[in-house]
Amino acid sequence: MKTVAVIFGGRSTEHDVSIVTALASIIKPLELTKQYKVEAIYIAKNGAWYWDEKLKDINLFSSGQIQDFLHKTQPTSVQFDGGMTLVKASGIAGRKTSRKIDVVFPAMHGTYGEDGSLMGLLRMAGVPFVGCDMDASVLAMDKVLAKQVAESSNIPVAKYECIYRDAFARKPADILRIVEKTLTYPLFVKPAHLGSSIGITRVTNVQELQNAIEVACHYDSKVIVEEEVANLIEVTLPILGNDQLKPALLEKPLTKPEDFFDFESKYMHGGKGGKKSGGKGTKGSQGYSELPAQLDAELYKKAEQTGLAVYRELGCNGIARIDMLIDNKTNIVYFNEVNPLPGGLYEHNWRAAGVSSVDLVQTLVRLAEERFQQQQQENTVFSTNYLQQF
Amino acid sequence: MQIVVQGLLTHYECQGSGKAILLLHGWADSLDTFKLLVAELSKSQKVISVDLPGFGQSQTPKSAWKLDNYSEFLKDFLDKLNILDIYCIIGHSNGGALAIRALVTEQITADKLVLIAASGVRNSDDLKRKALQAVTKTGKVMTFWLPVSSKQKLQKRLYGAIGSDMLIAPHMQETFRQIVRQDIQTDASSLAIPTLLIYGDQDKATPLKSIGQKLHTLIKYSRLEIIPNAAHFVHQTDSGQVNRLIAEFLK
Repeated sequence: MKTVAVIFGGRSTEHDVSIVTALASIIKPLELTKQYKVEAIYIAKNGAWYWDEKLKDINLFSSGQIQDFLHKTQPTSVQFDGGMTLVKASGIAGRKTSRKIDVVFPAMHGTYGEDGSLMGLLRMAGVPFVGCDMDASVLAMDKVLAKQVAESSNIPVAKYECIYRDAFARKPADILRIVEKTLTYPLFVKPAHLGSSIGITRVTNVQELQNAIEVACHYDSKVIVEEEVANLIEVTLPILGNDQLKPALLEKPLTKPEDFFDFESKYMHGGKGGKKSGGKGTKGSQGYSELPAQLDAELYKKAEQTGLAVYRELGCNGIARIDMLIDNKTNIVYFNEVNPLPGGLYEHNWRAAGVSSVDLVQTLVRLAEERFQQQQQENTVFSTNYLQQF
Repeated sequence: MQIVVQGLLTHYECQGSGKAILLLHGWADSLDTFKLLVAELSKSQKVISVDLPGFGQSQTPKSAWKLDNYSEFLKDFLDKLNILDIYCIIGHSNGGALAIRALVTEQITADKLVLIAASGVRNSDDLKRKALQAVTKTGKVMTFWLPVSSKQKLQKRLYGAIGSDMLIAPHMQETFRQIVRQDIQTDASSLAIPTLLIYGDQDKATPLKSIGQKLHTLIKYSRLEIIPNAAHFVHQTDSGQVNRLIAEFLK
């Protein structure tokens, strides 16, 4: 039986969301397959790694007992031995327990997890891992870089400006002047690297703009300011695959344009307003939404094609969710951002598209192994007589 | 919504339009405490509520703060939001003490003040204060040999037994020590704006007799309303009555 290590938590503002994704949407379905031995690896907010069966229990986290647990438990060690092996003290006469990992399933959102950092570590370790590889993750988690890649492939994006924290601290008035000169209100201000709508503000004047940039700079050293898309329909599309892509359903969050999904409505209250509008709403881990989005067939197809094009251009693998903004009058589909690890894997959407949670995690593990096998065939070392010169 | 004030990420809500009303929550509480009040007031007024630094979703100050630090924070917060005129401040518990201090130090000006179960009268209960001092001094000696988790549990019980909020917000202990030393009776006596005091007659945290009635005597243009059978969170348990009193006072 293969051992799959699910890594979650981490030094990220989305630490708590990651715990729910890991326990509810990954570990549980993986165990239901009865094909894998599943190991839970929790990275605490201070960066220490823990490996324990107890970490599979959501009550440990929801009750706050996790602090006591961390206090009493030794962090685990990770051995990079041409693969990845977990090592921890067993508590019996100084003996150690170890477990060789066959596949890693990263369940970390945001910084140090979803942004390519963990993927880089796993690449170095030489272990197959689920989801986007390091380069795609780096691109995906930088809203500015992702837009630049999309633009270079002629995929429309809303007009934007990139701001660096240092430059703003030095000359805030100059930065504000540039933004006001190039962009038209209303604007959205976002930290470039964070997900789950953290630190995002919609602004309509220069005072609000300044305050919002300060907030975004509190979270990130790089900030994106972008124009609001008029006549907005917001849609999102989860996609699965390495070479052969499978889109799930185009989903439309049921929010007003000015009331975009924020962290609370996504994860805390089950949707802004908390009510279904009409009979087609669905309440997933991400709140209320229209699933599939009720768009005319041509526009639906166009948005789906845009999503798939972005997935390919950014070099995504395994799974990602592409967020898009549609101008309902011009029918222009703008790429907004890509999420390499959608919260809860967007399993509610996959279920509606005919993919069960169990099928989803199994497919993702298979895709991880396939990519790893392909990578193994690439020649990265070769013999030279360079050293013999010395 | 968030804003950076004095380098601290600060969570706040701003709802409705009209005259500006500022809501200040109590110790270890958050702006959510005023949910029912906000729903009512925001129908005809602009209601600004804020998670004070160290509480709710706002960042914790790097050093221990006194009421004056919080007052200066409020000034900067309102300046950043470009809110120049506050019609009324409503403060619950420690938020009430803060409102008094901020008004007297002229960090904020307002036409009216509502104090709901306000605290700040510090020498009213000598026994409790002495017990707190004794626990603080002897607590460390009594618990030094225990493991950290047991020590924390025991300390929590000891402080709880003498009615102290010291460990409700463990990350704010130093600030708590600063604030409980600050008595606002002199400040209260120099207030010169219409003030509505609301106290529950079963309030043990800020008792009607030793705090509510004392503040009523000290504040010149004050009116004291007593809610029968109500405790410290009277704005939640008896929201209908409290909302009515406030609406009438704001007219």
